[in-house]
Amino acid sequence: MTADVFSAAFDDHRPPRLDLINDCVHCGFCLPTCPTYVLWGEEADSPRGRIYLMETGLAGEPMTDSMVQHFDRCLGCMACVTACPSGVRYDRLIEDTRAQVERRHPRTLAERLLRGAIFRLFPYPRRLGLLRGPLRAYQASGVRRLLGPLLARTPTLATLESLAPRLRRPERLPERLPAVGPRRAVVGMLTGCVQRAFFPDVNAATARVLAAEGCDVVLPRAQGCCGALSVHTGREAEAQRFARSLIDAFENAGVDYLVVNAAGCGSSLKEYGDLLRDDPSYAERAASLAAKVRDVSEVLVELGPVAPRHPLPLSVAYHDACHLAHAQGVRAQPRRLLADIPGLSLREIASAEICCGSAGVWNVLNPEPARELGDRKARDVLATGADLLVTANPGCLMQVAAAVHRAGGVIGLAHTVQVLDASIRGLPAQSLLHS
Amino acid sequence: MAALEDLRAACGDARPAGDGDAISGVPARYVAAPGSADEAAALVRAAAGHDLSTVVRGAATKLDWGSPPERLDLVLDTRRLTGVVEHAAGDLIVVVRAGTALADLSAKLAAAGQQLAIDAPLLGATVGGTVAVNTSGPRRMAYGTVRDLLIGVTIVRPDGILARAGGKVVKNVAGYDLCKLVTGSYGTLGLITECVFRLHPVPEASAVLRRPVDGPAELRTLVSAVLGAQVIPAALELDAPAGGGLELAMLLTGVPEGVRRRVATARALLGGEVAASDAEPDWWSAYPWGAGDVGLKLTAALSGVPDLVAAALAARDRHGVPVAVRGSVGTGVLYAGMPGATDPAAVTAVVADLRLVASEAGGHAVVLTAPAALRAGLDLWGPVPGLALMRSIKSQFDPGRRFAPGRFVGGL
Amino acid sequence: MTSATRTDGAIPALATRLRAELSPAQVIDDRQELRTYECDGLAQYKVIPALVALPHSADEVAAVVRACAEVGVPFVARGSGTGLSGGALPHADGVLIVTAQMRHILEVAPADERAVVQPGVINLDVTRVASPHGYYYAPDPSSQQICSIGGNVAENSGGAHCLKYGFTTNHVTGLEIVTPAGDLVRLGGRAPDPPGFDLVGAFVGSEGTLGIATEVTVRLVRLPETVRTLLAGFASTDEAGEAVSAIIGAGVVPAAIEMMDALAIEAAEAAVHCGYPDGAGAVLIVELDGSAAEVDAQFDDVERLCRAAGAFEIRVAADDAERVLFWKGRKSAFAAVGRISPDYLVQDGVIPRTALPEVLRSIADLSRRTGVRVANVFHAGDGNLHPLVLFDDAVEGQSERAEEVSGAILDLCIEHGGSITGEHGVGMDKVRHMPRMFSADDLDTMQLVRCAFDPAGLSNPGKVFPTPRLCGEVPGRHRGAHPLQEAGLAEVF
Repeated sequence: MTADVFSAAFDDHRPPRLDLINDCVHCGFCLPTCPTYVLWGEEADSPRGRIYLMETGLAGEPMTDSMVQHFDRCLGCMACVTACPSGVRYDRLIEDTRAQVERRHPRTLAERLLRGAIFRLFPYPRRLGLLRGPLRAYQASGVRRLLGPLLARTPTLATLESLAPRLRRPERLPERLPAVGPRRAVVGMLTGCVQRAFFPDVNAATARVLAAEGCDVVLPRAQGCCGALSVHTGREAEAQRFARSLIDAFENAGVDYLVVNAAGCGSSLKEYGDLLRDDPSYAERAASLAAKVRDVSEVLVELGPVAPRHPLPLSVAYHDACHLAHAQGVRAQPRRLLADIPGLSLREIASAEICCGSAGVWNVLNPEPARELGDRKARDVLATGADLLVTANPGCLMQVAAAVHRAGGVIGLAHTVQVLDASIRGLPAQSLLHS
Repeated sequence: MAALEDLRAACGDARPAGDGDAISGVPARYVAAPGSADEAAALVRAAAGHDLSTVVRGAATKLDWGSPPERLDLVLDTRRLTGVVEHAAGDLIVVVRAGTALADLSAKLAAAGQQLAIDAPLLGATVGGTVAVNTSGPRRMAYGTVRDLLIGVTIVRPDGILARAGGKVVKNVAGYDLCKLVTGSYGTLGLITECVFRLHPVPEASAVLRRPVDGPAELRTLVSAVLGAQVIPAALELDAPAGGGLELAMLLTGVPEGVRRRVATARALLGGEVAASDAEPDWWSAYPWGAGDVGLKLTAALSGVPDLVAAALAARDRHGVPVAVRGSVGTGVLYAGMPGATDPAAVTAVVADLRLVASEAGGHAVVLTAPAALRAGLDLWGPVPGLALMRSIKSQFDPGRRFAPGRFVGGL
Repeated sequence: MTSATRTDGAIPALATRLRAELSPAQVIDDRQELRTYECDGLAQYKVIPALVALPHSADEVAAVVRACAEVGVPFVARGSGTGLSGGALPHADGVLIVTAQMRHILEVAPADERAVVQPGVINLDVTRVASPHGYYYAPDPSSQQICSIGGNVAENSGGAHCLKYGFTTNHVTGLEIVTPAGDLVRLGGRAPDPPGFDLVGAFVGSEGTLGIATEVTVRLVRLPETVRTLLAGFASTDEAGEAVSAIIGAGVVPAAIEMMDALAIEAAEAAVHCGYPDGAGAVLIVELDGSAAEVDAQFDDVERLCRAAGAFEIRVAADDAERVLFWKGRKSAFAAVGRISPDYLVQDGVIPRTALPEVLRSIADLSRRTGVRVANVFHAGDGNLHPLVLFDDAVEGQSERAEEVSGAILDLCIEHGGSITGEHGVGMDKVRHMPRMFSADDLDTMQLVRCAFDPAGLSNPGKVFPTPRLCGEVPGRHRGAHPLQEAGLAEVF
């Protein structure tokens, strides 16, 4: 699978589309929102520059290490899509490009080992779950301190180490949770991978809130990974395998909506139709399931609140996860839900459109720039002076938490749905503020 | 004599110079007054042919500014290059010949409710002279100066070629901004024959507020307060006559209701003894010196203006010189005057003091005019950043050093 | 696409030297990466630079320029690469000096109403740091969220609010530049009226041909107490134009008056859903700012005059968010046009405001006759038109016809006593039109300045002037062949 250095960068299987590329008028409005351009100020690491590289690739330039490096460095945050006045579908372009890179470009042994390890672990909630015990022990012991020098020399390890969340005992969720009061909808719930293994509280809160708002919640035990990480990293075949399994798990569950509490997953699920468009036996089923996908904040606003809210006298900084804001356009709903809680004051974070640097596994693959971006975000978050940081993606939560810790700052961390859960259950504000 | 013949052939009105045509004590040989741009070009060509050194004269209001010319053959008088070529009131622009007196232009424009918003400190000054020296007054705070109002220019180069830059529209970035280059160039780059200016409507209403000030410290407080508020003065001026006392005067213009409200706000802001009137003070827009005196232009970053005023006041005591100061504390452009009979050493010392403070405040102290006896010992211009580049420009435009040689910075 | 022609090893040697004097990461010679710099905001012209350098400081800029000067290699400066006249189009045998990494705001001094910034600082970021102090940076090109101050200085950029506030040149009081010989020179400063020639004024708008700005001292303006914005829908551009004349004629000096015609509205709607009045043949955005006392008094007049001219719908922005929405359509207009046409040319002509209705009619006639669609977006207050000439490159002959229409529009501007460029600059794009506006003597005179700064002709050569002047002792004439002539780069005229 070696790409001939003299042949053009892309082959005929889903290359980045020229018609989409031609929508770009080179205005540069995307540059100030692109995290890598903000960090480095170099054209080739900007959306405009990457589109340019794709175009030259289509015109015959070979897929060199240099070209691949610029594609790899893209976070896939899609802030550029939001900023672009010409409507360039950069998200489509980068996905198709990454898939081409994965198939056609030979990676170094070290790269292959790292990526291999990541993808043998992260998409498998049970394997992640197996890590819990050792991770808890490690966190409880003093080994962490001793590892300092080693971690300083290996950025990737340091990132993984810093991201590991503090763990508590997980709650077990039933396969079906009945609605509280009159039933308004039947919703399937994605339990996810990292969410399920490391933030089970979030899943529990999600299920409770949905039930409290009149939904029967269905949590098929058979569900696995949605394939988002694979799609965003160009591992097309792997992503399609995960997608098919997930479609199998949910399509006969009799749900009106498939509710997701992880931004990255939700955005991928909404594009299942495109992912499986070449598969005659799944294309329609994929599109049909995709049409039912909602972020939890979306569906709650769509249904309209019925469960009474109790006050939470807190100041909250809401962080837009890229895959929720830029990819799905969901910005107003979480803010609305939070603002409707009595006593809660909402604060905006400066430079909100700039990614925190998590970007799926980008922070593991690009530890140093991810650290810089995380530090910037932590600074802007802490500058709000808010009691609590609320966001809708486990990746963001881990990344910002680690950066805040590095900065010596203190702020509570919670998922949007955990705040709603606390308000509906009448829990004290303090319950959200333990870190 | 051959020269005079050639000058006459080019431009009807040429004659030998008289005693009254000397410039800063340097006698001239000829005087010529071209009647059109083409005549002017022919005249300059003829002069170039005889390697005649030329100084342009408008109303001679600032002829004694700068250094005396190194050599002087021809005085090029612009008195026949007068008249408004075009006044496009709907577009708020005017095309006017350089020899026109500002006052005449003003009258013409006022008839249409418009103005060229440049104050004229010296009576009779021409448009060309105003541009060549970049004269300004109190209302620069609201409207800018020649630099901001000149949008097109026609010049005769020292080699006699006629050239235009800019145009008749305010928004224009085609080519280099030669309008800026000739503004304040003291006639060293050629003869300005025609100017295009952007105009402003004459405001409906205006009011003046005056208040005595204790000293530089109170000045700082008051000016900060005014600039930080939203009264938007058209001018904010200070007068510190040599005899003592400090007075702040503010001009507010706009629509009647707007002016009324802003006057009330400004009064409250200034506090103390505020006097309101329709008319500007007597000293308004006049230089604080008379004929034969020493006149300086002092500039500073806004935050340094009170320091500059303090330095001028201190110089009085330190050097026993009655220094008068007046100018725009709202933009950081002040003028200082000393009697012409002052002891040269004292003048030099005062200039040095003021130059130091101005420089520390990011600005400059330039001696605009001084009697011949004092000029010799003075560094009129002080440090001039970018002088090497200015020399390059001069040598490109006037390689023969024929136009106003030695009058300007660095002996240009 | 022009390729490098130099074969004497000067470029590789230069690259080695620059890597040593700056750092390896700051010098790019990878062909694919070089290609991402081959055009600026005007993608029609592409030239691959021989090298790209990314200096971090004024000293590094000087080092690069000096190195180029020593071996006679031309250089072109680039900020964010968003210019619309090809001013940052590289030279095939030259170094592209990119200032995007020089983006520190060195000082904000509200007490002096000044800020000092590096050239790569983004225009809007100056306002962002100044606003908490109650000040802002007034020149607001539509690309202000990305265009650089250095680029603004080179082009003398304007923006919608230059009707009241002026352009970049009215807001720059000091510069530090690297001359084409590689020397660092300070010009002007914080205070007004520096003695001598106004070199700051000559440099602003010189489009990178007189050197590179490495530090800019800008003027800050007090944030207005009140801003009131109105959006009015008219049946035609004629009526809208009448409203503009009436407003100016009444002695009002609005902060901005912008107009868009039906086609431009369609594009903006498709892009940003600005919701402009349905069925409008033209919309006007009129903004007044200043002290509440003045604005309140004048705003009612403006509304009345719009109605009198025939506005069928008038909206007054109730808050900042609505005001931003009014402007959103206008500010995205250029890029938005990409949604209604595969290709387009954007013009930047200026005409006297009073000639607006007639010129718009002429453009409409032109469009009808040639079958080439033209969308109009413009700064109605100062007669600065931005006709967007639409075409489809894939259809034979369309791009030529579009060029013809474009040129004809410029002719119209000049016929009416206007200008070929109000704010985008001449760059590469309008070089061939310069003789329409200026005589040979006029151009020769401007080039005296160029000769003073850059006798070797290395600073952004080929831009602004159709034929480089030979910087000899005798203007316009030279004995024997000049090196530039021998190189085939210049002619004697």
